[in-house]
Order: sequence, then C-alpha cells, then structure tokens
Amino acid sequence: MTKNCVVEMGSMGRVAYARIAPNEDLVVGVEKLCLAEGFSNAFVRGALGSLVDGCIGTWDGGVKHVKGPAVEVVSLAGEVRKRSDGSLKASLTGVIADPEGNVFGGPFVAGLNPVCVTFEVTLEEWLPDA
Amino acid sequence: MQSSHDPKVAPRPRTLVHPGRFNPVRIQSMHSAAARHIRLALKPGLSLFDALVRPLSEEGVHSASTTILGGAFAELFYCVAPPDPSGLAVVAYGKPINAGRAYMIFGNATLGARIDGGPLVHCHAVIRTSGGAVKGGHILPDRCIVGPEPISVLVTTLDAFELRQALDPETNIPLLQPHEGPRHD
Repeated sequence: MTKNCVVEMGSMGRVAYARIAPNEDLVVGVEKLCLAEGFSNAFVRGALGSLVDGCIGTWDGGVKHVKGPAVEVVSLAGEVRKRSDGSLKASLTGVIADPEGNVFGGPFVAGLNPVCVTFEVTLEEWLPDA
Repeated sequence: MQSSHDPKVAPRPRTLVHPGRFNPVRIQSMHSAAARHIRLALKPGLSLFDALVRPLSEEGVHSASTTILGGAFAELFYCVAPPDPSGLAVVAYGKPINAGRAYMIFGNATLGARIDGGPLVHCHAVIRTSGGAVKGGHILPDRCIVGPEPISVLVTTLDAFELRQALDPETNIPLLQPHEGPRHD
C-alpha cells in the first residue's frame, strides 16, 4: 500500500507489455496485467487497440456510450494503484474514435469497455520510496 | 453518428463471437527488468514509418512503445475499422482516408516485427485534419509525411523480449504479440 500524499518520490521498475484478448474489459484487463506481472503500482507508457463499444464517464455520474465495432482507442493515459484494502485499481482516461472516426473523451468506465480485436498496453512499474 | 447518451443506463457490454477458436490465455504479457527511454525527433520530410524505424534500428531497438507528442504532418492518411462484410473477421480496416496536411494531437505507436521479419509500426492517433475536424483512428505510417518541424517522440524500449506479428487464430487477424528471444544486432 502507498501513502496518500501530494508528492510521492519513487523510481521506475520493470516494464511490461501485454496483448489483451477480445471481450476482456480494458480497465480490469490492465489490473489483471499487474496481477500477472506482480506490479503494485504502474503508469501506462503506451496503449492502443480497439473496443467493441466504448463507455466513458460523464459529469453526472452517467456514461457516454459510443457504439462500435470497432471503437478505436486513440489516446490513453493512466495509472494503476494498490489501494488501502490491498486491491488494485486502474484509472484510465483517453480518447476513443467511433467507426466514422468521430472522437469522444473521458475516463474509461470499468467493466464496460470490452476489447474488440486486440489491446496493446505497456506499463512501467512505479516503485514509491519507502 | 451511431452514438447514444443515456446517463441513467450503462449498456451491458457485448460479447462478440470471433471466427476462430477461443484462446484460454486472455492476457499475453512479458516484462523486462527495466526500460530504456529515448527522446526521438521525427525528421521532416520522412514518412512516419521511416522517421521512427530507421533511427531506432540504428540504436538496436526493434521492440518499443512510443508516444508521439504532437506535431504537424505534410500529409496524413488514416483508416477506421467497421464490421467486416466478408465475415472473415469481426472488423476490417476500411479504405485509407486522406486527412491532408494534418496536425497529430497525440499518438501512440508500437514498434515490432512483421511476420516476414521486417519492421512494423502500429499507430493510433487523434488528429486535426486539413479541414479542421478532429478525428481519430488507425494511422498508416508509410503514408504520413512529417511536416516542416521535427516531432518529438518518447520511446520506451522493450529489451528482454520482442514483439512479433503473428496470425491470431481466434480473431483471424495478424497481431503483435510478445515472444521470448530478444533480437541482438
């Protein structure tokens, strides 16, 4: 577990690349990648791929649903953090493009962004100083 | 536009059926002990493909994730991936779309190897087209020409394994996947 502080000093550890298969959820898939590689905290260093349909959060707590397939992920930033209860949480935000190339952006809603063909993601492990 | 917005209802995710046999391994991952980071300047006048591949190859980098930090292209082509009418796969790339003189707002590109061993760049990006529309899609790196100013790229190398394209039997589409055995020059 890491402390909840404004400035967290640390260093980069290992780097992992994964191909996430169809119908797996993007957000949970990134968390499972951390399980597979033993990362507690990580930053996304690169990501691209496609979703069946896209689902991003809105201000009112709702969602913006973008119909595919395929919805392309064309920008993604985010991190994975180990929470106080020991669980892992990926927070991913980005831009998606519908099958006509129109773009939408926001936070990816966990459980609602199934991968279409493939999703490539590179994570760099973040090692906070003790 | 095929999008809907109902803030009260989160639609249930759809599970698509791909043409090939389901692979029980859903997350194919590998890691290196550490990454090297390189700041690369894409050279004006070269294709995005050559501007990425040539200098990295000279440094012995054949597998990497890169972030294209934004910049102008003299010419840019992209495509999208609607459902495949042939049924050979669930989606297929459409025809190249000419964005003209375009600004790449943000892009990610993966460097790996094609089935025949040559270099492969898989790139998705958000762009502003010559007409001013903001669009996103799959970029065609050999058909994009870097504009008059160098474009900065942050490269994260993948050194302990290599990314190779192989036909994925489940989706029936050639895809980049991590493999043992780094390439040594």
